Parts: sequence; C-alpha cells; structure tokens
Amino acid sequence: MSRLFANGLMKLRRRDFLKAATIATAAMGLPASMVDKVAAALKSPARPPVIWLHFMECTGCTESLLRTSHPDVATLILDLISLEYHETLMAAAGKQAEENLRRAVEKYRGKFICVVEGGISTKDGGVYCKIGGRTALEILKHVSADASAVIAVGTCAAFGGIQAAAPNPTGAVGVRDIVKDKPIINIPGCPPNGYNILATIVYILTFNKFPELDELNRPKFAYGRRIHDHCERRPHFDEGRFVEQFGDEGHKKGYCLYKVGCKGPVTYANCPTQRFCDVGVWPVAAGHGCIGCTEPNFWDNMIPFYEHVPGVEVPAGQGIVGKAERIGKFAIGAAAAGIAIHAAAGVIKKATTKEKEE
Amino acid sequence: MRVYRRVKVWSVLLRLYHWAFALSIITLFLTGYYIHNPFALGPWEGTPTNFLMAEVRFVHFVAGYVFIAALLVRIYLLFFGNQYERFTDFIIFRPRNLVRLFHTVRAYLYLGEHESYGGHNPLAGTVYLCVLVLSVFMALSGLFMLYPEGGLWASWGVTLFGTQQIARLFHYLLFWVYLIFVMIHVYLVVWNDIFGSEGIISGIFSGRKFLRT
Ligand code: HEM
Ligand code: HEM
Ligand code: SF4
Ligand code: SF4
Repeated sequence: MSRLFANGLMKLRRRDFLKAATIATAAMGLPASMVDKVAAALKSPARPPVIWLHFMECTGCTESLLRTSHPDVATLILDLISLEYHETLMAAAGKQAEENLRRAVEKYRGKFICVVEGGISTKDGGVYCKIGGRTALEILKHVSADASAVIAVGTCAAFGGIQAAAPNPTGAVGVRDIVKDKPIINIPGCPPNGYNILATIVYILTFNKFPELDELNRPKFAYGRRIHDHCERRPHFDEGRFVEQFGDEGHKKGYCLYKVGCKGPVTYANCPTQRFCDVGVWPVAAGHGCIGCTEPNFWDNMIPFYEHVPGVEVPAGQGIVGKAERIGKFAIGAAAAGIAIHAAAGVIKKATTKEKEE
Repeated sequence: MRVYRRVKVWSVLLRLYHWAFALSIITLFLTGYYIHNPFALGPWEGTPTNFLMAEVRFVHFVAGYVFIAALLVRIYLLFFGNQYERFTDFIIFRPRNLVRLFHTVRAYLYLGEHESYGGHNPLAGTVYLCVLVLSVFMALSGLFMLYPEGGLWASWGVTLFGTQQIARLFHYLLFWVYLIFVMIHVYLVVWNDIFGSEGIISGIFSGRKFLRT
C-alpha cells in the first residue's frame, strides 16, 4: 500500500517531517534530545509489515487519520509501515483482496503487526459481521494467530465501541476479549488522536519494545493521566466557577464545564496536551465537555453526556433508569416516612398502655 | 424494684472510633455534596480568589483519611476488641443471636418487651457490619479517584470498578446509602434510649451501660 505514497506525490516537506517527529517525541514524553533518534526511526527503511483489519465500525478512525494535515500524520504512518492489507485504502477488491490477505499472512508469518479497527460480533457465531463470507471472529482469530502483536485502534476495537452499547444486539466485543495469547496495545478514542497511533508505532520501532501500558493496555504516555488534570479550564474548577448552561455568562467566559457533564475528571487521555486538527484544538477548548471516549463502555457509562453521573437502573423496575439523585431522595423520603410511622406507633403505644414504673 | 449494674462495654478506642467516624462522615456529606453539585457559591471573576472547590476537596480528602483511620481501628476491634466489640458478639450466625434477633424485631414492632444486651443487638450489629463493608468500598473508590495515576490504586480501581466513572457513580450512590443509614441510626439510637434502660446514648460517650442484674 505504501507504494501509493512512495511515489513522492505525498512526500512531506522536511520542515513538516521534523515537526511531526518532534510532536511524536513529545507525545511519548521523551526529551528533545531524542528527536534525532525518533526521526531516524521514522526514516528507517526497515518497515514492519502491517495488516489492517476493519470490522464493525464507522471507519471514522481511518478517515480522521487520513484527514490530518500539517504535517500529514497519515502519510508518516503509512511511510513508516509496509501496509499489506487495508480495506479502505487498497486498490484490490473482492476475491483478489481476500487472496492478498491470505498471502500476506503467509509471507510475514510471525512478523507482521495486526492493526484492528472496529468491534467484533460474537453473538450467533458472529454472523452479524462477515467479509468475503467469513465472520469477523474467524478472520481476527486467523490473522492474529500469526501476528507478532495486535494494535487495537479506536474504542470499537479496544472495548467494543458503539455497537457494544446496551443492549448490544450483535454481542460486539473488543479485540482483548477474543485474542488472549498475543500482546495487545489499545489506542482507544472515538476517534483516537493520530499522533497517539504514530507515537506508538514509532516507539516500537525506536526502542524495539512496547511502550509502558496501563491496566487497560493503553500506552501510558498518551493515556496515563486524566483530562481534568491537564485541562486549561481547571483553574475555574478549583475556583468554583462553572458553566450552568450552554450559552450562559459562564460559558461565554470560558468557565469549567463540570456541571454540564464534562467527563474530564474520569477520563484518561492526552487531548488537552496533544490536541487535534491543524489549529491545535480539542473539545473542551471549543466549549464542549469531554464525553470520555477513551474509556471502556463509554456509550453506556458516560451518558447522559450532559450530566455528571449516569442514571441507575431501578431494581425490579423492568428497565427503568432513574437519576441517582431522584432515587436517593425517594429513598430518603421513604426512610423518613418509615421513621415517622414507627415513632407515631411508639407514641400511641406509650399513651395507651399504662407505664409500669420500675 | 429492679437493680441495674453499670457495666463497661465500649473501650476508649471504640468510642474514639465512633465519634471520629461520625464526625468525618458528616464532613464528608457536606463536602461531598458540594463536589457533586457545586452550587454557585464560587466568586465570579473580579472578586478575590479563594479556590472554593479546591478547598472543599481538600477538606473532603482530610476527612476521608480520618474516616479510613477510624475504619481501620474498627476492623482491628472486630477481631481484637473486648467481648462486646468483637464480631462474634453480634454476628447472626449463632443460635443465641438468632433468638436475640427475633426478640429485637418483635420489640421494634412493638410486639414484645425490650431486652437489654451488653453489646449491640444482632440487628444493629448486622447493619453496622454492612456499613463497615460499604466503608471499605467507599474508601477504595475514593482512593481510586484521589490517586488516578497511583500504580497500586489505579490497578485495584480498574479491577474493582472498571473505570473512574463507575467508581464515582458507586461513591455517589453510597453517599445516599450513608445518609439513610445515619437517619435511621440516630432515630433508632434515640428510640432505644427511650424504650430501653441501658442508656445507650450516654454509653457511646462514657463506655458504660446499665444492665439488669
Ligand atoms: C462516607 C464517606 C464518604 C462520603 C459520604 C463521600 C461523598 C462524596 C461525594 C458525594 C462525592 C461527589 C461524587 C460525585 O462526583 O458526584 C465525593 C467525591 C470524592 N470523594 Fe468522597 N465520600 C466519602 C468518603 C471518601 C473517602 C474515604 C475518600 C478517600 C480519601 C473520598 C474521596 C473522594 C474523591 C477523591 C472524590 C472526587 C472528588 C473530585 O471530583 O475530585 N471520599 N465523595
Ligand atoms: C454520621 C453519624 C453517625 C454514624 C456514621 C454512626 C455510626 C455508628 C456505628 C457504625 C455504630 C456501631 C459501632 C460499632 O461498630 O460497634 C454506632 C453505634 C452507636 N452510635 Fe452512632 N453513628 C453516628 C452518629 C451517632 C449519633 C449522633 C449518636 C447519638 C445520638 C450515635 C449513637 C450511637 C450509639 C448509642 C451507638 C451504640 C449502639 C449500641 O449500643 O448498640 N451515633 N454508630
Ligand atoms: S472543563 Fe472538564 S476537564 Fe476541564 S476542568 Fe472542567 S471538568 Fe475538568
Ligand atoms: S476530550 Fe474526551 S471525549 Fe473528546 S476526544 Fe478527548 S477523551 Fe474523547
């Protein structure tokens, strides 16, 4: 695939190249003195073969990666690796594509990196996602068995993503639930920041080992810290200045979005420092709270996106979900009523029975 | 006329624990609720800064540590306290306590006579044990949120709760459970003080109860 890019059409200017190398170095938390080493790895002719699989997803991860620019992260990544199979990018189609996949797996057995984008359906034998007559489940098991490592790109591949949201009709799961015997790196996000993908690959090429991972197999350099602990609105949080409603005075003044549901305090990601797009922006900077897209099951746990904590299922309520606060107040009321009745009964009893003095 | 003995039941350590626990929880209620729903007390721009949220969180965390210390003391006393303080005194898995439980429920329903025990009645004891277990989870979810990058807490937290958001939801739901516990607790303590003869409220200060001879 990188043949497409190797013809010079999409070659980066040196300035942009160095800029990207520097950003990737910074993203990994490495000192500036490492930029040369990283740049060398970026230019290294030894390009690891990669097989990029697409399953249940919106393809937003690939799309957003391809649309980064100045410097073009996608070009860098695609120059860095030898992309053997990628359904969105490759020219081959149909039988020919399937043949390419089979041949690539055989040729690079044990050496290639398997990148997965999208969740995997497991219900009813995985029939809800098939490519070329084979289920995603089969393809992933088959390809990953011969891979040296698996990189799950995006929240769908890492944790199941939107199709895994309740009631999860297709039994969608992430790679980690299927592949148990290979090292996995999760790069979640909806979509993940292209630099985090780049930096992870560069890290592996530069140091020949995995970056340090957290409990959920996310590289610590990118997911080691919570949004909230690096947010530019944090002083307003500490000061107790909050946006009460979108568009209000506090919103115009750039106050903290905590009360309109910002999930920065419960989300691990480097968005405030790494940022997105050419202008270096990120959701909270633009006035919208974080929705926690890098966390497992965020479609279930982080909703309602504009409230602080999720609703809770009312026990025996047959799917009724209530606001924690309302349920709490109801329970308090019930307890108070119980106390009142009990106390009244006691008073009546005292009044009606003659007290025996002891 | 009945004769009562004044019996020492609660050690100094237990009484210290009770009041450290109670006062820390009241502080945690007030500060925790502000953290959950910071009502507009914060100064607006232009007024002198006072870092209200930061201060409230600081108080919450200090009270949280007092709470944890008290909790540890109580766990120690469950095993090494005096006769009345050990869990064996009020755990319901004992024939004696099952009988007592039955009597307690009858008395609470105004169907039977109040009986006096040196330690907790088994109903209260069971609830207290549950509260201690909940407190462990309260402390763990709190510590997970407090040390999001701490290796140990972070890995325990992910194992227990999965994500910070679930830990936070858990922490917040338990907040309501504690509120309800405290309401009922204080009511029943007063009720027992009225209907019983042990003087349990002065007991939690003095450590002594009045038991029938
Ligand atoms: C009975 C005891 C406790 C009560 C009632 C309580 C209550 C609360 C409440 C209501 C919140 C707000 C939750 C939300 O975001 O909606 C909170 C937050 C928090 N609590 Fe507690 N808490 C208790 C014990 C503890 C303990 C033992 C610790 C650990 C030291 C702790 C640490 C925290 C932390 C770190 C937060 C998050 C604050 C933030 O947003 O930065 N809490 N607590
Ligand atoms: C936040 C408030 C409070 C909490 C969380 C709390 C919690 C507890 C707990 C857990 C116990 C069991 C002690 C043990 O582990 O052995 C207990 C016992 C007791 N508490 Fe409280 N308490 C609170 C407030 C109060 C208040 C305000 C009073 C007084 C009016 C009180 C009076 C008592 C008494 C008398 C006992 C002993 C009951 C017995 O002898 O069986 N508590 N409390
Ligand atoms: S906007 Fe969100 S991440 Fe930023 S300080 Fe407020 S709550 Fe934290
Ligand atoms: S700010 Fe939050 S929701 Fe937005 S991309 Fe980052 S982690 Fe995802």
